[in-house]
Amino acid sequence: MEGLSSWRKVLSSSQAKQAYAGYVREWESRIGAFLEFDPDRSPIGAKPLGDDRGTASHPLAGIPFAAKDNIAVEGFSLTCASRMLEGLASPYTATAVSRLQAAGAVVVGKTNLDEFGMGSSTDTSALGRTSNPWDRARVPGGSSGGSAAAVAAGLVPFALGSDTGGSIRQPAAFCGVYGLKPTYGVVSRYGLVAYASSLEGIGVVAESTAVARLVFETMRGLDPLDHSSVDHQPSGEAHSPLRVGVLGGLSELSVEVEGVYRQAIKLIRELGMTVTEITLSTLEYVVPAYYTIATAEASANLARFNGIRYGHRPAYAENPEQLVRTSRDEGFGEEVKLRILLGTYVLRSGFQDQYYVRAQRVRTAIRNELASAFTGVDVLLLPVFPTPAFKRGDEGLSPFQQKLADRFTATANLAGVPGLAFPAGVIDGLPVGLQFLAPAFEEERLFRAAERYAEAVPAEHPAGYSAEWRR
Amino acid sequence: MDRVNLSLQRSLTREGGVGNLPEVDKKELYTTASLAQLELSEQEAERLAAAVGQMLEYFSKMREIDVEGLEPTTHALLKTNRLREDIVVESALADVLLENAPEREDRFIVIPNVL
Repeated sequence: MEGLSSWRKVLSSSQAKQAYAGYVREWESRIGAFLEFDPDRSPIGAKPLGDDRGTASHPLAGIPFAAKDNIAVEGFSLTCASRMLEGLASPYTATAVSRLQAAGAVVVGKTNLDEFGMGSSTDTSALGRTSNPWDRARVPGGSSGGSAAAVAAGLVPFALGSDTGGSIRQPAAFCGVYGLKPTYGVVSRYGLVAYASSLEGIGVVAESTAVARLVFETMRGLDPLDHSSVDHQPSGEAHSPLRVGVLGGLSELSVEVEGVYRQAIKLIRELGMTVTEITLSTLEYVVPAYYTIATAEASANLARFNGIRYGHRPAYAENPEQLVRTSRDEGFGEEVKLRILLGTYVLRSGFQDQYYVRAQRVRTAIRNELASAFTGVDVLLLPVFPTPAFKRGDEGLSPFQQKLADRFTATANLAGVPGLAFPAGVIDGLPVGLQFLAPAFEEERLFRAAERYAEAVPAEHPAGYSAEWRR
Repeated sequence: MDRVNLSLQRSLTREGGVGNLPEVDKKELYTTASLAQLELSEQEAERLAAAVGQMLEYFSKMREIDVEGLEPTTHALLKTNRLREDIVVESALADVLLENAPEREDRFIVIPNVL
């Protein structure tokens, strides 16, 4: 693949590696995308799978990539950007990663994230701050903010992320790169630290649609180690030209995002795609249903962190019970505690029907409405987030406002369908991303639509981005 | 807040006007925290009570939508349990996992006295 060929050289000699490390160091002093970066770390987990994927000829052979630090890679730490897991050595490698390694790709580092994937800014990380490569006063988005920032700055051609409610697509949109959340279960979750099991999956942030497609095709497939993994079964059907569903009555969007959304609709029409206006009346119930389910699952999944077998242990504890409580008090940040508390609350006896079960039924309504929308169109075009990358602190969005803004992304997680965020334009020096959604297994439609769009509006790079050093 | 138009700002803040946050009962909060094995400091409890209350109030929006006759969705695509074959496979993880234990004696993990 043409775009990747210059990346193949960067790990090929010690001289090339030095140039690589130099470029990364320069950017990292400004953006802090990585929690760990080491192009020399021997990829201990890289054991060929023994199938017919020849590594030498594979287009990913020798290509560096990064993984969000909630995805296990042997030889690296696995911190989830939490004090709870600081210094934890990853005992094994995630299936998604080992499939890429079997194709010859090389992990060069682990990227920063919101603690345990809980946040939209990467600011809830307890272990480092990541800034947006387009404007350091702004957040890179989250929770896969480090992965998106690293790709946007040209530090890696792709980086793995995880998407529970938008955690790949929103930072991709904030940083002006491509972000794919695959169909639920198509990429194995083995080796992804669990947050909300029924919603999340591993996906990829990439410099182009072609790279996203290649990585997706290499990672996907049934995995005996993840019983919720499924075979990729695309229908292979799609209209040509694609029929695109768009939202009619838009509200609560910033001027920038609304402007880009309207322009994009005009553009895809000019590109020959058919545009149909649709309404999603369940959209306003997405966020409450999503946070009820996500926090409920989080409260169960994070119960395993108790400071006994691994993870943070307090300096002193009188008895085991105190050890567990103090470990969790000292180990978890406030956003994580909030979600555990909420999740425990909605699962308490007496409250379950009112919250958790109701949310699961609302989830059915959301799935049904989306399924019926897809009977008339091949893909949907939606905003990713109501605003471009926001500033840190008081000028930005409060944690509650950030949650309300997840409506466009969390829809795909509740329904299990794939979504691809793509750079749709740059306004006042900041990228604005939009997303295509497709029915389950129809990722190819997303790639096709985004590729067509990129022919008219190519992705731009932030100031300071360079590909010269690897030519 | 630059770049964000006013209507967005209004709509996003509408349920979270400062100073008038719905709070979850403190006693309920401590009961929930205890179930979740979380220790909360006084200050933390203060902040979290407000944040939990705000979210719960927002969750009540789900009452508006008619879900009569709809089955709950637990997994979007998973229809049945897929079981693997019951066969013996090798796993050499035990030692690596033990190395991550905070305190250890030989192959035992040490915790404070239970009794």
